[in-house]
Amino acid sequence: MALSTATLAAIRYGYGLRPGEDFPGDAAGVLAQVAAGVAEKPTFPRDGVAGRLERATRLLSVKAAEAKAAEGGKPNESIRQEMDKEAREIFRQDAMARLGRAVHSRLGFYERLVSFWANHFAVSVADFLPMGMIAGLHEVQAIRPMLGGKFSALLQSAVLHPALLISVQGDGTTVAAEGSAPALRNERLARQLLDAYTLGPDAGQTPDDLQAAARVLGGVTVDYRALTILFEPRFSPPGPHVVMGKTYRGEEGGNQDHVLFLEDLAVHPKTAAHICRKLVRHFIADEAPEELVSAMTDAWGKSEGDLMQVYQAMLEHPRAWAEPGRKIKAPFEFVASTFRAIELSERSLAGLQRDMEIEADGPVGKAIELAAGVRVEDRRARADRAEALTLGALQRMGQPMWHPPRLEGHGDDAGVWMTPDQMRERISWARMVAGIFAQRIEPNALVVAALGDAVRPETKRLVEHAPSRLQGIGMVLASPEFNRR
Amino acid sequence: MTRDRSFLLSRRKLLAGAGALAALPMMAPISVAAASGEGRFVTIILRGAMDGLDLVQPYGDAAFAALRPSLALKPETGLIDLDGFFGLHPAAGDLMPLWQARELAFVHAVATPYRGARNHFEGQDILENGGHEVGEKSGWLNRALAVLPRSGSRQAVNVSGASELILNGPNDAQRRGAHYGLALAGDEERFFEELFSGDEEFAKVWSAAATTDGGGPPSPPAGATRATQISEIGRMAGSLLRENYRIANFSIAGWDTHVDQKTQFPKAVGDLTTAIISLKEALGTEAWDKTVVLAVTEFGRTARENDKGGTEHGTASVALLAGGAVAGGQVHGQWPGLTPDQLLDGQDLSPTGDLRAVAASLLQQQFEVSPANLTTKVFPGLTLDGASNYLKG
Repeated sequence: MALSTATLAAIRYGYGLRPGEDFPGDAAGVLAQVAAGVAEKPTFPRDGVAGRLERATRLLSVKAAEAKAAEGGKPNESIRQEMDKEAREIFRQDAMARLGRAVHSRLGFYERLVSFWANHFAVSVADFLPMGMIAGLHEVQAIRPMLGGKFSALLQSAVLHPALLISVQGDGTTVAAEGSAPALRNERLARQLLDAYTLGPDAGQTPDDLQAAARVLGGVTVDYRALTILFEPRFSPPGPHVVMGKTYRGEEGGNQDHVLFLEDLAVHPKTAAHICRKLVRHFIADEAPEELVSAMTDAWGKSEGDLMQVYQAMLEHPRAWAEPGRKIKAPFEFVASTFRAIELSERSLAGLQRDMEIEADGPVGKAIELAAGVRVEDRRARADRAEALTLGALQRMGQPMWHPPRLEGHGDDAGVWMTPDQMRERISWARMVAGIFAQRIEPNALVVAALGDAVRPETKRLVEHAPSRLQGIGMVLASPEFNRR
Repeated sequence: MTRDRSFLLSRRKLLAGAGALAALPMMAPISVAAASGEGRFVTIILRGAMDGLDLVQPYGDAAFAALRPSLALKPETGLIDLDGFFGLHPAAGDLMPLWQARELAFVHAVATPYRGARNHFEGQDILENGGHEVGEKSGWLNRALAVLPRSGSRQAVNVSGASELILNGPNDAQRRGAHYGLALAGDEERFFEELFSGDEEFAKVWSAAATTDGGGPPSPPAGATRATQISEIGRMAGSLLRENYRIANFSIAGWDTHVDQKTQFPKAVGDLTTAIISLKEALGTEAWDKTVVLAVTEFGRTARENDKGGTEHGTASVALLAGGAVAGGQVHGQWPGLTPDQLLDGQDLSPTGDLRAVAASLLQQQFEVSPANLTTKVFPGLTLDGASNYLKG
């Protein structure tokens, strides 16, 4: 691919080309997006952070009351359904808003970093249904404002957040069992913290380190009703605890030991190496070039983990601008970059969300049917289409929003996202996009919009001669150069 | 043989030219279905340029066999004779009961006004927008909705799950069927294969995807094949038309047979046949009797075979009409002949009829759309100089 640095940057460091948007073609321009992004006011949740917390806790207490009533033989199915429906809607709003940021933000590198860190500190709606209401909060509170500062601060905000702790500790009902030994309760968190968030799996930590870490973290708990983090000294066994050669005494001001522990982990050299390598593997190549990784760990060391310096060291290295197309887009990137290439407007995305929101069977659906003469089944067909085009697509392609396959998040090696199943799903989805937007998309224009000067001559020729627009559009989106980054 | 194939249409034309009828376009009587207000109309778009000379083969034309050494059939080699001059491709054999019941007809050597550039996108634009200009973004079937005299007839649905130009426009039309994972047609598969061939890793994954259990890419749901999926589309159209809907459209791809047409063409014909049969089944006898299906393509293919056992983009093709409302059992149209001087530009089947006129005639007979509306709103600029009667009166 003989492509300009601006195209390379848009594809490698952003969510791909978007007509009318000039992606910076140099390190300084790309880096400037991070500062701008951090300063941005978040566009979700719609109800604001405080409003959302209030809504989530209210729903949780109504649900709890209903559960209690049910235990007493008076279940209220309609309340339960209403609450579940509201929780689902909230989740959908946030998920669509998140997709919308990737599609519409002009700060592509910042948005890609948000995804990188959100995946590094993955939260999961798998076990605890109300998580859907706070998964987005984790990103908005703990990731977005923090990813341009010190890693230490990011680590604390990301780990000491109810959404992450609930994800790691599992379903609140089992954790609430008072009798369980504290070390056991936070063993998962300790393992996660050492192996995934900081040092990496091969940093020489022993089972004893893990046990001790679990004890240091023992008092960290979540109030599942208020959705806040608490430190419960009674769960924190007295020290001393030795983790990776550092001693945490436990008794003297023990409430802060877990914070000190996080700070120590953040500045550990193994952490720098682990994170820098992961950044390079995510953005540039599965086989991280060592000279690039060491330039970044140097910057990390000199700046005591200032992430901006680390990003800068990556972007200023020549290798950051060479050998394009070594990575395969993950499904979220594939979907977002498609919507960018076809210039899906904010209004259209909002329209898709509305199509999903109105549940055809409910009284609202019925009223609309009467008023507008739209049949329920036509409305349902529209809702299904909107879902299949957006959140459903991510699910089918194996990257459902806030639902990673494991706490370590999604892998992003080529082998993960380049499989026969993945290719089938992408072709299917590409053809659906083509069908739905066929009246607006000119295949030959899409070649330019989606691929720019990264296009291969054979792709251009094949699209020109495609037997139908649908096939032409499908081929642009399925093409190797659109799926590589 | 220089047999004159100026059949029904041209004979009527002669009559019309001789008398006062010339002043009155579209004299065909309205169909029985139209009179009841229960008429149904289905369009099937055959995307990729369907080879009309392969579907309805003029085996009685002396020039035919020599033009197509590997493709031309005769009754002795499997072609199904229709009228002693034309024969039907054997892959459409399941349609023969319809022919025998006079519910299947063809109009040969027809084309849209699109000439020259032979580009699929442009050709399909003209086919669907019913005009002369590429870029007109409303479809003729959508515009027709506004001029159907009975409001009950204006319920239209596209079952391709896609937004297709023919039904796109100011008037309401619904969309059904997501067809996520509709298996690829033969020509689509060939294009994808070529798309991935230049990238080693993608080529490897593609060939693995194409051979894994469950069929080729993309990913038909478990147990589904392209045939069952196509049949599902036909069935969906049929059941919607049986209930509230009166107009339906969908597409069948797979006709761009540049290479190995002998293998590829029967697959596409099989899909078309399957779609029509399943549509008929889902409609049930009563609704089928009031139904007209019109299957059309953007342009035909060269009369001569190329050196890869395929054909190139051409001009005129054949239109298929099916349904209980059709006056079937005939091949309509004026046969242009296949000698070098009879071929358009020395290579294509010459168009002797306007595809839009066929569609206009069906709309008039099936829904009582007025000739004035047909020539100004549905097909602006179309002149109707003769009456064509494709439906049962």
